[in-house]
Amino acid sequence: MLLVGFVAVPGLKAQNDLQISKVFDQYGERKGVVMVELTDEMLDGYDFSLFKSITIKNNPTAADFIRKCLQKDQAGAKKVKQVVANGVPTSIYLQLPRKGQLYRLILFNEMLNAERKITLIYIESKNDSEDVLKLILKKK
Amino acid sequence: MRIKINNRISNNEADSLIEKYYEGLTTGDEERELKAFLSRRDLPDKYKPEQAILGYFDRKAPKKHVSLLPYIRWASVAAVVVLGLFSIQRFTADNKANYAFIDGHKVSNMHTIKSQALASLVDVSSSTNEVEEGFKSLNENESIEQQLDVFSSTEK
Repeated sequence: MLLVGFVAVPGLKAQNDLQISKVFDQYGERKGVVMVELTDEMLDGYDFSLFKSITIKNNPTAADFIRKCLQKDQAGAKKVKQVVANGVPTSIYLQLPRKGQLYRLILFNEMLNAERKITLIYIESKNDSEDVLKLILKKK
Repeated sequence: MRIKINNRISNNEADSLIEKYYEGLTTGDEERELKAFLSRRDLPDKYKPEQAILGYFDRKAPKKHVSLLPYIRWASVAAVVVLGLFSIQRFTADNKANYAFIDGHKVSNMHTIKSQALASLVDVSSSTNEVEEGFKSLNENESIEQQLDVFSSTEK
């Protein structure tokens, strides 16, 4: 019984090995922040095993913190896209190493308008990352 | 007439009582007499079966009967507790998924949660071309690395 418990539960938190999990932990429940978590294909039309997003408005400290986390998490990952403005990455798509059967993606974007909205998304899917991204863009 | 020496019954009397015992006709007093007879150490071997049946064959200290029932009971309780804790954790983990926090307030309305999720996807989306270019570049880089590996292995 104990063994079943210890084995089954860790599988629920595959992203905890990533630095970006700290972003969700530290900023997720603050004012001015929207955090979403959806599991098991709850988002209609998308085959996501896990979808986690956080949107933070006008918080340069958070933006810097996210960039530092991404710098660590990109070790071993493939950078699908990066946009740099004034020497600072404002948009990054990372294709992470697979976790078992799951493909993993991190999407980061910082808007350069007055609102300076930061969006960070973590996705796990049984589908290939390229297909996932094309689907996201198709439905935009 | 029953002959009792030192209040002990004779072998013949014991035989009669044993026969009566098997027929279920012995009185309480007769059974006590029979048990007292069978508890003697100097009895012939022919009485061994009766001694075994009536529990007087072995005069050693009674074996301690180790009952597993308390241990089984405790193990069952422990198993139920563990299962309960596991179920609670699993249930709360499942409940924690499919949620949103907006300005620090938890939202469980699925429509709102999905809307927020879709909105965040729009925020990060760039054009399809940029993504295709990105993957194309990744694939090209992999091909180049594979080609370079061929040269590095031949140099050795």
